[in-house]
Amino acid sequence: MARIVKASTGLTGLAVSSNPHHTLSALYGKILRAVAKMPQDAAYRKNTEILVKQRADALAKNKDVVALEKAVGCGQVEELIVQAENELILARKMLGWKPWEKLVQPAPAKQWDWPPAQILEPKV
Amino acid sequence: MAALIRNLGARAAAIALTTKHVIPAGSTAVLRMASTAPVDAKKAEKPTVRKPDAAARTNLSDFGRYVAECLPKYVQKVQLTAGDELEVLIAPEGVVPVLQFLKDHHQAQFTNLVDIAGLDVPCRKNRFEVVYNLLSLRFNARIRVKTYTDELTPLDSACDVHKAANWYEREIWDMYGVFFANHPDLRRILTDYGFEGHPQRRDFPLSGYVELRYDDEKKRVVCEPLELAQEFRKFDLSAPWEQFPNFRNANPPAEVVPPQAAPVKK
Repeated sequence: MARIVKASTGLTGLAVSSNPHHTLSALYGKILRAVAKMPQDAAYRKNTEILVKQRADALAKNKDVVALEKAVGCGQVEELIVQAENELILARKMLGWKPWEKLVQPAPAKQWDWPPAQILEPKV
Repeated sequence: MAALIRNLGARAAAIALTTKHVIPAGSTAVLRMASTAPVDAKKAEKPTVRKPDAAARTNLSDFGRYVAECLPKYVQKVQLTAGDELEVLIAPEGVVPVLQFLKDHHQAQFTNLVDIAGLDVPCRKNRFEVVYNLLSLRFNARIRVKTYTDELTPLDSACDVHKAANWYEREIWDMYGVFFANHPDLRRILTDYGFEGHPQRRDFPLSGYVELRYDDEKKRVVCEPLELAQEFRKFDLSAPWEQFPNFRNANPPAEVVPPQAAPVKK
């Protein structure tokens, strides 16, 4: 078990994690398994896999918590855990939404025109 | 009346044109009378005017492209407005997925919902626009998500994603009458008890429909249909001349971010 290096995260409501390496590796494994159910060419799957594998690599290489935080560069370990939990929830919801399909409905004509009645030529 | 002024303005302009041709060039009087001085492009360095940062712009358009690539089902258009504000324009079905993606994805983390705004353009088929302003504290970035709806079609509520959406959506419902499906508590929030109508709609009269006054005989406040002493008059306030000719082509209101990045020159 890793030694707890800090007394507090300094962030309200975010307790110091006692075993961040175990938690994080479990979460990253879950994310990769959830993402693997998506089609091969889904951009969300590709991007998430690349990013999560990078972080899992950094996790495997750095046994020290401080070194890990420095290697990932996205906050403290506890924040990394929160991010991974969010990504896991998102990945599981994405399986239901299927956002890699083609556009549900194209924008109606002139919907995104701004200003709505454009003055192209001066009046006089 | 306004038509008369416009005719006069047009005639004055025509006269000015003819006189300009008659008077020989180089006359100082004409120069002194000119209302707009010639603009020197190099001299007009204004330190107080914020210039968009090119690096920030490429970052933003790259991120917009990334969102469009990850969610091709919902994103209709990505654009940069006012130089460096990223807007993602989505189909109304995608409110919850897009907001959830922007909140929970590692690369986005837009965890703060700053505001939800409404917009009414009566000439459009889907007259209401709903605008979500998001802030990412992690990446110090902002993004705007826009979608559209009409009077009858409900939008999905964002309350499941952002708790802050609760009151903002009530406000939109109150002001515009946009219905939010699955909202936990969709009541009016700003107008008074028993208020009818949605005051921010463009077809809601400025004076409202009812007026409140204290009735001395009944000893209470009474609510009566509005009676105006004067007939409604329509003023045509459009001017016959152009207001800011120097700024005719100043800022494009929005620049579309193309789905594919421009090829890098080797």
